Amino acid sequence: MSERRFLSRHARAIGLSGIAALLALASMAPAWGEKHRPRGDAAFGEYLSSLCVTCHQASGQATAGIPPIVAWPEDQFIAVMHSYRDKQRENIVMQNIAAPLSDEEIAALAAYFGGLAIRPKIQ
Amino acid sequence: MINRRQILAGAAALTGTLAAPMVRAQGKPRVVVVGGGAGGATAAKYIAKDSQGAIKVTLVEPKDTFTTCFHSNLYLGGFKSFDEITHRYDKLASAYGIRHVRQWATAVDRSKREIVLADGSRLGYDRLVLAPGIDLKYDSVPGWGKDAEEVMPHAWLAGPQTQLLRRQLDAVKDGGVIVMIAPPNPFRCPPGPYERVSMMAHQLKASGRTRAKIFVLDPKESFSKQGLFQQGWERHYPGMVEWIGPKVHDGIKSVDPKTMTVTTGFETYRDCALVNVIPAQSAGRIARDAGLANASGYCPIDPESMKSTLDPAIFIIGDASIAGDMPKSGFSANSQAKVAAMAIRGELTNSRTFPARYANTCWSLIAPDDTVKVGGRYEPKPDKITAAETFISKTDETAEYRRQVQQENIGWYAGIVADMFT
Repeated sequence: MSERRFLSRHARAIGLSGIAALLALASMAPAWGEKHRPRGDAAFGEYLSSLCVTCHQASGQATAGIPPIVAWPEDQFIAVMHSYRDKQRENIVMQNIAAPLSDEEIAALAAYFGGLAIRPKIQ
Repeated sequence: MINRRQILAGAAALTGTLAAPMVRAQGKPRVVVVGGGAGGATAAKYIAKDSQGAIKVTLVEPKDTFTTCFHSNLYLGGFKSFDEITHRYDKLASAYGIRHVRQWATAVDRSKREIVLADGSRLGYDRLVLAPGIDLKYDSVPGWGKDAEEVMPHAWLAGPQTQLLRRQLDAVKDGGVIVMIAPPNPFRCPPGPYERVSMMAHQLKASGRTRAKIFVLDPKESFSKQGLFQQGWERHYPGMVEWIGPKVHDGIKSVDPKTMTVTTGFETYRDCALVNVIPAQSAGRIARDAGLANASGYCPIDPESMKSTLDPAIFIIGDASIAGDMPKSGFSANSQAKVAAMAIRGELTNSRTFPARYANTCWSLIAPDDTVKVGGRYEPKPDKITAAETFISKTDETAEYRRQVQQENIGWYAGIVADMFT
């Protein structure tokens, strides 16, 4: 289980201070931390995501012509974004958005959107 | 319930990277956002959301609902109802704790860092976001003015004017003459006048009024997506649209709302069935009166943050700002709002920030399922926000591709209004 999933699963039970202590422990134990750290920086991904959610619904809801991008497996998200960046997949808007993204930034987006849950449609 | 962001914030605080001393020793830092459009609503939401209650956010906007200028042409063309382009602000309060003050902001007292409201009361701020949009220059077309807008509507501020233009369009008889006076640069929504012409022509054609004619009198030598629009007009509305540039019309000399006459240096259009005057524009008055605009009538900003170059406590976003290569669009305003929101959150809570990134796409509907787009990615450079890479539709795209682009357009609208209001 990844550190992130472990934390989100147990967050309610152990509380914020417990989590902080766990993370502090992780930072003091590089081997454990390296092995279990999420691949992307989700906080960075959250910032970068603001470019995405002008079109894609943060709720994960599909709308005409704009596919949902929430709760995808991270590997799949990364592969799709790389294919836009490499201009293999068509869609000029997505090619344009993906063009400047580094591997790290794509991984951050994958981690952020991958960690979101699909929410019911807001009426 | 705790969320992942709080976990990350908690972890970061422990390691000391995101320690958050407040600017004000007592109470939360205060942000006031003036204007609830694509820029202001987005900024208010993102500051409140990302600061998780650490910043007190007040939105000053007199209306309970916002009618989007974007897609108001689709209302004109019969593709959307007025309700579908009108949205409520109430979730900004209920979901994000934003205080919505339903008043006009009349002035900025920069020395006291206060906003003056229409009732004379004041709101203090630590940071101010000004998103007043545009003001129309009522004196920019001779013979036209505020008192003529009910006869010759501008419909460039979405709302009752948009509905008036639709009623006037519906009343145009077959064979009637429509004149649009297009605005000079810079103005809100560069492709907007030409999408509007397309939607007017669509309504006329769909109701069998194909002998009606639209003359576009333009003070500009060229316009956004010109080749795409002109190809579309020839393809879908042959003989119904004539664009006339300044070399041909030799200047718009005057309009007369009483006789529905438009006079140019070259020709006089009498007994017009509809005259749509889209005048010259400037930043909203509150920003100009506060001394935040330059000679252009718009407000210079720092490309890294959207902060006014004239006042470090004020950020100016959207149509009122001088955003370099970015067009004045709802998409641009939404993008700029997120950069400003991040910069403000960073300044007021010492929290983590990232380099500014900007994007824009403008979709334009020419005819049913025939949509084109223009857009780009923008980066802050020392002198201005600069286009890094741009794109535009091509004239040889297939009908199926254009249909897909229209689907994108519909999906984008749902996305941006969700991003602004929910």
